[in-house]
Amino acid sequence: MRRTTMHKRGMLPEITPKRREAIVGYLFILPTYVGFVIFILYPLIESIRISFLEFSILRESTYIGLDNYAHMLGDSRLRIVYMNTIIFTLFAVFFNAGVGLLLAVMLNRRLPTLMRNLYRSVFFFPVLVAHTYIAVIWRFLYQQDTGVINYYLSFLGIEAIPWLSNVHWAMAAIIIMDVWKNTGFAMLVFLAGLQSIPHEYYEAAQLDGANERQLFFRITIPLLSPTIFFILVIFMIGALQVFDTIIVLTAGGPGDATRSVVLYIWELAFRNFNMGYAAAVSMTLFAIILVLTALQFVISRRWVHYE
Amino acid sequence: MGRKSKRGITISDVVSYSLLTIAAILVAMPLLWMFSTSLRPTSESYQLPPQWLPTEFRWENYLAPFDSSVPFVQLFINSMKITLAVTLGQLVTCSLAGYAFARLRFPGREFLFLLLLASLMVPGQVTIIPIFLLMRSLGLIDNHLAIILPGLISAFGVFLMRQFFKQMPQELFDAARVDGAGHIRSFLQIALPLAGPALATLGIITFNAIWNSYFLPLIFLNSWDNFTLPQGIALLTGYMGAGNPSVVMAAVTMAILPVLAVFLVAQRWIIEALTRAGIKG
Repeated sequence: MRRTTMHKRGMLPEITPKRREAIVGYLFILPTYVGFVIFILYPLIESIRISFLEFSILRESTYIGLDNYAHMLGDSRLRIVYMNTIIFTLFAVFFNAGVGLLLAVMLNRRLPTLMRNLYRSVFFFPVLVAHTYIAVIWRFLYQQDTGVINYYLSFLGIEAIPWLSNVHWAMAAIIIMDVWKNTGFAMLVFLAGLQSIPHEYYEAAQLDGANERQLFFRITIPLLSPTIFFILVIFMIGALQVFDTIIVLTAGGPGDATRSVVLYIWELAFRNFNMGYAAAVSMTLFAIILVLTALQFVISRRWVHYE
Repeated sequence: MGRKSKRGITISDVVSYSLLTIAAILVAMPLLWMFSTSLRPTSESYQLPPQWLPTEFRWENYLAPFDSSVPFVQLFINSMKITLAVTLGQLVTCSLAGYAFARLRFPGREFLFLLLLASLMVPGQVTIIPIFLLMRSLGLIDNHLAIILPGLISAFGVFLMRQFFKQMPQELFDAARVDGAGHIRSFLQIALPLAGPALATLGIITFNAIWNSYFLPLIFLNSWDNFTLPQGIALLTGYMGAGNPSVVMAAVTMAILPVLAVFLVAQRWIIEALTRAGIKG
């Protein structure tokens, strides 16, 4: 391809079929690339630049070098929002993946197809509903005195839990709601992974006298490991960026108890107009996500041919 | 395990049926509560023990959002307008680029594709500040274009379409060439008509994502005339939430209906597409 381009150089722009194909190709990707440059590439570079500025739309900006990054080290609220985000991420990823795997394994057993499809749809549907609406519904369910959840817990002898007003319970409330909404996606992907494991493996192992526990830990888990790893990384990347779930349910409160990194960035940039610092904070999140994605890429390459 | 083995129902079967049923009930309950509350008189919104199935049918609750000071119809129109514009835009840009990356040869193709794909790693929060400043200098704050324009392209969508176009047999295109079709005609008359499932998949995923999006509207829109449905409902809850869950639930039910309708119609596609996207990474 390159050879002919070189060969033809210097000649009048005669339109060979190859050149015509290239021109059409560039025209076809043009809209996407214009958008990509304006809305991803340029903003990314600009964001890096802004992170070195004292920048606000209210004032003239000044170059302050690494001051924004240095400031983060002493920012106690940043430490809090990162702790919150990490706690949310660990629990949300663990339970989303764990519950999703459990549901998928149960759905993959002998089950009438109709029942399997019905349950799969029920588990999956909340994935499609906006976080905003889910949070609006759950805010009522979580009410301390009038909420449905505390009503049922009272039968178990549990006193009314201050779900949204207590520093510790508020985070639990967010995690529970998140798992309710998102575990269906993990279930779906795990179920597909399970269905791709050949039956012969199980049959052969059963002939050798393996019990269910052995089948699960010796066959299912190892063969499912690429899928498990994929789900862990995808959910981790999503959880680190948690925003919608929290803003409607608790708005980061009480105090800063459920404020996530993205909520903090949003508040810095669009409430306090401290955009230079907000950009610097967003760079830390970017770096973490980049490392996770790179890790996913490298490890999945090593695992991808497992059949 | 081993669906094919012929044995009776075991204890572990019973355990897993029960667990599945309990899980399904737990997942369904909040949505059932939403629906039954939406049909209850306001005075009984907080009724305990809760009624999971509607006992009364106050359909007038569904009219209340339209009568309130909240411009419910406008919110719906705004959301629909943004969602349709972005979805149609992505179908066009992604099928064009996907076709080029899959079936046309041009210098730098692999590099340009990988660069585009790498942009999937950039989280929206990183680029939002410069995009906000850009929109501000263009005078697009509180304008739907501020949300529509960045949504018109999608690296994920290009990836999806490319995979699909790549699977098409080369003979189709060879035959068209013999008949004298150019690249544009091959794309429009051969590739695109066969790409229905892929376009439907991308359309559904995009429609749902934009219909549900909250972050961008929250940043760019600041008047009731321009708010989207999720914004409006979140605010509605704040306005009258404590006083009137029934009406709020009626509004939420109406907002979820398009999603439910699409899900019921296109369930198989959605599940297959997301599974495929999931498995392949």
